[in-house]
Amino acid sequence: MSEALFRNEPVPSTPYVADGVSISLAAPLKRYSLRARTAEALETVLNVKVPQKIGATEGGIACLGPDEWLLRTAAETAMPTGAGLPVAITDIGERSICLIVEGPRAAELLMTGCPLDLDNFAVGRATRTIYETVEIIIIREGEDRFHVEVWRSFAAWLWTAFTAAASH
Amino acid sequence: MSGFRLETGGRIDRSQPVTFSFDGKTYTGFAGDSLASALLANGVMLFGRSFKYHRPRGLVAAGSEEPNALISVNRGPGRFTPNLRATGVEIHDGLKAFSQNRWPSLAMDFGAINDRLGMFFPAGFYNKTFMWPRSFWDKVYEPAIRKMAGLGDAPTAEDPDVYASTYAHCDLLIIGAGPAGIDAALGAMDTNKRIVLMDEQDELGGGALADPALWPWLERSVKALTDAANVTILTRTTAFGYYHDNFIGAVQRLTDHRPENEDTPREKLWRIRAGEVVLAQGAIERPLVFDGNDTPGVMLSSAAKVYANRYGVAVGKTPALMASHDSGWHDVFALAKAGVGISAIIDVRESVDSALMLEAERLGIPVYLNHGVVGVNGRHNVSAVDICDYGNQRVHRVNTDALLMAGGWTPSVHLWSHSKGSLKWRDELGAYVPDLPNENVVCVGGCSGDWDFGTGAVIDMLPTPKDQSRIKAFVDFQNDVTAKDIKLAVREGFRSIEHIKRYTTNGMATDQGKTSNLNGLQIASSALDKPVPDIGLTSFRPPYTPQTFGALAGHAKGALFQPTRTTNIDSWAQAHGAVFELVAQWRRARYFPKAGENMHAAVNRECVAVRSSVGIFDASTLGKIEVVGPDAAEFLNRMYTNPWKALEPGRCRYGLLLKEDGFITDDGVSARLAPDRFHLTTTTGGAARVLNMMEDYLQTEWPDLDVWLTSTTEQYAVIALQGPNARKVLEPLVEGIDLSAEAFPHMAIREGTICGIETRLFRVSFTGELGFEINVPTAYGRAVWEQLMAQGAQYDITPYGTEAMHVLRAEKGFIIVGQDTDGTVTPFDAGLDWAVGKKKPDFVGKRSMARPDIVAPGRKQLIGLLTDDPNVVLEEGAQIVADPKQPIPMTMIGHVTSSYWSEALGRSIAMALVAGGHDMTGGTLHIPMPGKTHSAKVSGVVFYDPEGARLHV
Amino acid sequence: MILIHCPYCDEKRPEIEFANAGQAHIARPLDPSGQSDAEWEAYLFIRANPRGRHHERWRHIHGCGRFFNAVRDTVTDKFETTYKAGEPRR
Ligand SMILES: [Zn+2]
Repeated sequence: MSEALFRNEPVPSTPYVADGVSISLAAPLKRYSLRARTAEALETVLNVKVPQKIGATEGGIACLGPDEWLLRTAAETAMPTGAGLPVAITDIGERSICLIVEGPRAAELLMTGCPLDLDNFAVGRATRTIYETVEIIIIREGEDRFHVEVWRSFAAWLWTAFTAAASH
Repeated sequence: MSGFRLETGGRIDRSQPVTFSFDGKTYTGFAGDSLASALLANGVMLFGRSFKYHRPRGLVAAGSEEPNALISVNRGPGRFTPNLRATGVEIHDGLKAFSQNRWPSLAMDFGAINDRLGMFFPAGFYNKTFMWPRSFWDKVYEPAIRKMAGLGDAPTAEDPDVYASTYAHCDLLIIGAGPAGIDAALGAMDTNKRIVLMDEQDELGGGALADPALWPWLERSVKALTDAANVTILTRTTAFGYYHDNFIGAVQRLTDHRPENEDTPREKLWRIRAGEVVLAQGAIERPLVFDGNDTPGVMLSSAAKVYANRYGVAVGKTPALMASHDSGWHDVFALAKAGVGISAIIDVRESVDSALMLEAERLGIPVYLNHGVVGVNGRHNVSAVDICDYGNQRVHRVNTDALLMAGGWTPSVHLWSHSKGSLKWRDELGAYVPDLPNENVVCVGGCSGDWDFGTGAVIDMLPTPKDQSRIKAFVDFQNDVTAKDIKLAVREGFRSIEHIKRYTTNGMATDQGKTSNLNGLQIASSALDKPVPDIGLTSFRPPYTPQTFGALAGHAKGALFQPTRTTNIDSWAQAHGAVFELVAQWRRARYFPKAGENMHAAVNRECVAVRSSVGIFDASTLGKIEVVGPDAAEFLNRMYTNPWKALEPGRCRYGLLLKEDGFITDDGVSARLAPDRFHLTTTTGGAARVLNMMEDYLQTEWPDLDVWLTSTTEQYAVIALQGPNARKVLEPLVEGIDLSAEAFPHMAIREGTICGIETRLFRVSFTGELGFEINVPTAYGRAVWEQLMAQGAQYDITPYGTEAMHVLRAEKGFIIVGQDTDGTVTPFDAGLDWAVGKKKPDFVGKRSMARPDIVAPGRKQLIGLLTDDPNVVLEEGAQIVADPKQPIPMTMIGHVTSSYWSEALGRSIAMALVAGGHDMTGGTLHIPMPGKTHSAKVSGVVFYDPEGARLHV
Repeated sequence: MILIHCPYCDEKRPEIEFANAGQAHIARPLDPSGQSDAEWEAYLFIRANPRGRHHERWRHIHGCGRFFNAVRDTVTDKFETTYKAGEPRR
């Protein structure tokens, strides 16, 4: 029956293209919040490498804080629940959407409202931060390519803000 | 005509004439002209009327320090900008500029009567005069004063322009692109530093723009900097504020200098974080203080040089110089070279450098040393000046059509002061210069006191044999403050410059005293007979020059003013005619009116549908927190008032959350999904606050607990299905869950699928009816909602909004935290003591429940109210009294918190917080409202189905 | 807008990523029920308001999410130091 049900996304499915930068909605992803006191504790449960340093990403896992990681994957693999173990694995696959900001002006666009120095933000780095008043997670996927994770209810505002700034 | 365009010279483009208007009259200038230079070229000397005395005023300066020539520009509806300095407005075809603060016209201003009465307007005049009667202030004095004393009119129409905004980062930010700033940029250009060079003018060069000998150097330098990939050049950009950690605010003007209004942003706000800042803002020439120094045609000598050399305009045919500083001599020599005849050089000093004397002699300019101007003839323009020979006190007249003032220089330390850098006094300059930095910043060139303008005498005002009480020698042109005002302030006992400034308003106008502060200080210093450093220094504050609100707001207007959060189902509600309300930042459907229905009718219909068949409600905004880890139950047990450890997986519990002070801060129904996993819900407005509070306790009080919190508010769309037919609607769509009353009782949770989508299905009720709350992954919220609508059609399923939800919960006596509580309500006050675990040794807020004030009698307690007239719906917030016959002011013992019409009960119901209310059941209270005082019986808060029979079906 | 050094992220980040969380080093009593009214009042309500050096808590709420401690000068608004929660007072 699920084939019949449609996904309702908060932003247009058509990319917004401006001079030097485009903004588009990423395909649906699975997302999990991974919590533990150490990366090793998660590695034991997940059987994959988990980055140690805040801001580092590895195999789709971004370290956001000393005890917090974000796993994003397109794969249809089943996640362990971590039941009974000193870890917390929580499904947040639909909490946010991902906007792909791409092009030579991508960093410039994000800096219209994000106070971080993205000229000095290495490819592969991820962080939670803020765009004006809206919390986002920025992941630099390439020199000219960023993923911006934003909670769904703020996505329409962020899309409007991004497209307005891109048009300037 | 006194001003005129020189035959040659200047940086204007004489091949490009530009037509513009001032006060409705059309003029022609050239591309590259400022409004000031173009009007001067046309012989216009009168630019405005002064703030208090409505005295005719002309240009004093050529740059952003201009105190007098404030004008308005009208670019069409909503695009009216008052209080611009004519010196900073670039002309373009079609520019419409207007003078200000005059009626009926600039040349014939009725308000100038103030000037004749000027003896009545000394410092503190308003404070002293308009004191009595008090009632006259609002109705008579203030409107009249506001009409007469003022600047430009504030626009009233909405601003249609677009404004851009950005953060930026650089290693080196250079503010000011005169020779010193350009040298700093050239010096750093070949490093790998990211450099930003900004200047408020339309082209780089600063003072060099008025020095043709430097133009070849300037051209080479600008080209080198433009070609350098690591240098960003921002012209027409004013650094208006210098904040902590080298954070600089700047506004770039993008389109005002062009003829057409465009869709592109008008201005751009730059929020720049710089590794190092170089301030190269230069210095501002100081006027001299003497009788009549505000007459149009009296201006700074450096400005005359700018008008001649940069714009090709003479400020007069025969200007004279009044100097206390060498720099004025150099300026008039430059004017003479540009073809302007100089009528006289007057210098207050007894002797000057012999080279200056020789050059004046060579140019044939008469020189008067040890002389000073003591009077200016002409009202709308200078016609002659009276000068006094200080040797013999004789006064004689010099005919001239302009008088140039050279009173020395004041370093522009504004941004340095914003950054909290310290200043030191330098006697020989008669000025404060930068001393110790508070940030990673250096000052170079004129703003550091480093200049090659020669030397000068530091004086407070020009000596005069005239009666001091009969002269008007202005210090602050924009606020109309005279030397006499400052002396009066000192006589009346003011000693600190901070007080003198506020009493006289010296330096408090929109120019923040760029040309007046130092003269004011010198005059106060003489009057007090104390050195300047002993009487202090006033602070400069952002903005350096006035900026538009539009630029500061940036994107934050219209749809981008602030985020409006919407649920996945919001688009369905919009399409089905919902009326919305904002709850926190969320947009929620308030009710769904059918054609012809008002709110009352719609809400009644929605309530009846829930009680009689089935209603459907978007509860997605409820806060959700997933609490996971071996210590999850222990953590919740410490946070909430009630016990959580024994709750079985698959069951739900109402949780009441207090702050440590014992007062209710949030509530919600939460479910145990597994021994180490809970699904918490919070109020819509409390979601972020509750998560922060829980993180606080977890991270800082109980870091030993193995439990983690994740916000899942937006992971799930939540659909409340409520009413006796709710199960029937749900059954065909759900798989993997036995929905029978036995298998799935009230306050339980099950996981399965609905329409093939995984769901966390709660059996809970905020209405008192059989109810379910369906949690599905957010993207599918609207799709599942539409399936339920289709399935429920046979039961006439009815979407309901927050208003019906409020009525339904009030009928059941369920509180809304923040409406029926206000941050001073305990569980006992709210009648929720059943939700407090009496045997628990501790939880957040428990100790406070034994505080003396909380156990004292007479606390406000939540009660029900049934009005004697069942048709009266009390106003929420209405005050409550025990005895309506008591004298006014009555003793108010409480207030109505919730009040509705209940269609199910056929009468009104209300809840109220009343002192000692729990002991009043059955008694009568009185509620004064507009028109009538209503009486009501005190009841319990559960008005409908008190046994709860309807829940357990 | 100041820059604040987050001791967990170990870098300076812009102020708007942070939230102030009041005075630092006020531990919740281990046995609240054993507190006298005066002791409990002091814990709940009585806070320092120094001119100058002030110990306070901040949270890198739009970053790594951690609460930490800081010494800030209330006159200059300059941060003297920041350190992790649980570390001794500086
Ligand atoms: Zn951090």
